[in-house]
Amino acid sequence: MAAENEVQVYAEDEAHAAAVANAAIAEVKRIEAKYSRYREESLLSRINAAAGKDAVEVDEETLRLLAFADAAFRQSDGLFDATSGVLRRAWNFREPRVPARGELDALLPLVGWEKVEIAGNRVRLTQPGMQLDFGGFGKEYAVDRAARVMAEQGAKSAMVSLAGDLAILGPQPGGAPWRMGIKHPRREDKLLATIPIMSGAIATSGDYERFIEVDGERHCHILDPRTGRSARGLQSVTVQAQSCLIAGSATTIAMLKGREAGLAWLEELGLAHLAVTEDGTVIERF
Amino acid sequence: MAAIKGGANALAQLAQAALALPILALPVKAGAAEVGEVGFSLLGYKERGLMNIVEPVLWGRMQFLETWEVQASAAVDIISGASPQLVSNASGKPVQVITGASVDDHRGTGDVKLTKRFGEFSLAGSIAYSKEEDYESKAFGIEGRYDLNQRNTTLVAGYGQSKDRVGSSDDKTLDEPRDTKEYLVGVTQVLSPTALVSSTLLWSRGKGWYNDPYKLTLTFFPSGSPVVAADVRPDHRNTVVWLTRFRSHHPASGGTLQADYRYFSDDWGIRAHTLEVAWAQALNERWTLRPALRYYTQDAADFYSPTVTRPPPAVHSSDQRLASFGGLSPSLRAILRFDAKTTVEATIGYVQNSRQFHFGGGGSDAFETLRAYYGLLGITYAF
Repeated sequence: MAAENEVQVYAEDEAHAAAVANAAIAEVKRIEAKYSRYREESLLSRINAAAGKDAVEVDEETLRLLAFADAAFRQSDGLFDATSGVLRRAWNFREPRVPARGELDALLPLVGWEKVEIAGNRVRLTQPGMQLDFGGFGKEYAVDRAARVMAEQGAKSAMVSLAGDLAILGPQPGGAPWRMGIKHPRREDKLLATIPIMSGAIATSGDYERFIEVDGERHCHILDPRTGRSARGLQSVTVQAQSCLIAGSATTIAMLKGREAGLAWLEELGLAHLAVTEDGTVIERF
Repeated sequence: MAAIKGGANALAQLAQAALALPILALPVKAGAAEVGEVGFSLLGYKERGLMNIVEPVLWGRMQFLETWEVQASAAVDIISGASPQLVSNASGKPVQVITGASVDDHRGTGDVKLTKRFGEFSLAGSIAYSKEEDYESKAFGIEGRYDLNQRNTTLVAGYGQSKDRVGSSDDKTLDEPRDTKEYLVGVTQVLSPTALVSSTLLWSRGKGWYNDPYKLTLTFFPSGSPVVAADVRPDHRNTVVWLTRFRSHHPASGGTLQADYRYFSDDWGIRAHTLEVAWAQALNERWTLRPALRYYTQDAADFYSPTVTRPPPAVHSSDQRLASFGGLSPSLRAILRFDAKTTVEATIGYVQNSRQFHFGGGGSDAFETLRAYYGLLGITYAF
């Protein structure tokens, strides 16, 4: 994963700390290899290659991840959709060009979680050209797994962060919290806030991670599966939850719901959160 | 309420699906919020026809070295106006009389509290000092807190002691001690993600000088000469206070209910109840309005009487603060979150104490209705 990734462990001795950290890193690499859409040999690439054709047999772990994607789809009224990655065929965030309505309309028939068939341990994408994308929860799952592996290795005070999505097993020695800096969505050199965390998982979604600006309007990589267009109304959302999967789905759904509905959704969930609206107002509920 | 239910259900569904995977459910625990804050406030209090008090307060709070916290405050009370010093029945019924002397006093106070956290346990020590022309107080306290049940429950226990000296601007020879020991136990319980209740029991044992050197009682009798009696109170005072607070946040409406009940009892015979209910309503991200209503009722001290017998009793006071009365106090606070770091708040309030407000009737006949206004302006800056 090409991002700022980090593992920190406190242990009785260096050897134990290294063993814990290495186990976490190995687990993250395993998940990346299995679910990366960039690797041809990955399970995900095989499912996508068979779109419109055959069902692909998957293991228990993948079935449960798909069950999570299904829960997130249903709880978000269809906004959290693991098939929306195909929209990136029209959106190229390396050049400042907004896809025409027609380009997006051509792709929208390939988007839709209901077009994924799961029967027993077999998964089939019913439309040729459809893609499953674990981008919305694969990294978050890797964070949760790394935390679990570190706990199994005996770590009590440890932190894992993959591109800013993180899990904390317990406070630093002496009971001090970890101070997690949350990036400012508009100023790269500035932190929006520093949140002290004793334990729990934190995820952040923002319109600043990958975006283009055209005619003064920002288009970010968080795409609405109904329209194919970028999320609007919120610059960034940070959520703390029991697991990074939960936190990450909450932030993505809030971003897609937009300012009013997104903030209401976060309040209703009852999870600690920090949000920045499009006019720069900071809402802190930590 | 349907919205809350929907949100809670969504979270439960997401959690169920996530935790079906081989991952951990990590306890969600935040550390203490900010690194520090400083504040300044100005309180003004005006009793109709009587005293005015202005109190500027400067305070601050800072965490350092991760597990330490220091808090400090300093305040000056500037008191001017008049205070009733004599209760006389010369007119046929006992009334408060303001004698020539007017009050003009400054009181300075300061306190410092240092807290160290050891995991789930924290220990705090504090000292406080206050000084005015006719009164000096030195106090210290220690307090332990223990968080358990994933920080959903907090237990607290404390001990404090104060050593005071009582003087009088009318009698420079007066210099008497008053010593008080205070004990505290309490519990705070998180009831749900949006509600908590805390209950604290405080009791104190005091001994020393409680007489008010400025108060006199002048009583005329149908025949014979009148009697002037000084204020003489017991040389000890033991009190019990039970304080219960409830907070309940309602995300759907953006409001928070704050309800406090306080019971007070002492061995002078005073029993008092205070009930305060407030609703803090967020109007938007910046503005919050908090209307509140406080009701107070107290029974008189055993030795309170607006008149004396001949000869005067050994223990007696006509100070109407020891009478049976009740009070109502509405207030309104506006809070402006200026930005993520700066909060400004303003409160205006009105107090009316009268014998009619005594719970169930039976307020002291001689209690003279008190009307006062107060206002508070404060600014807090977090860093």
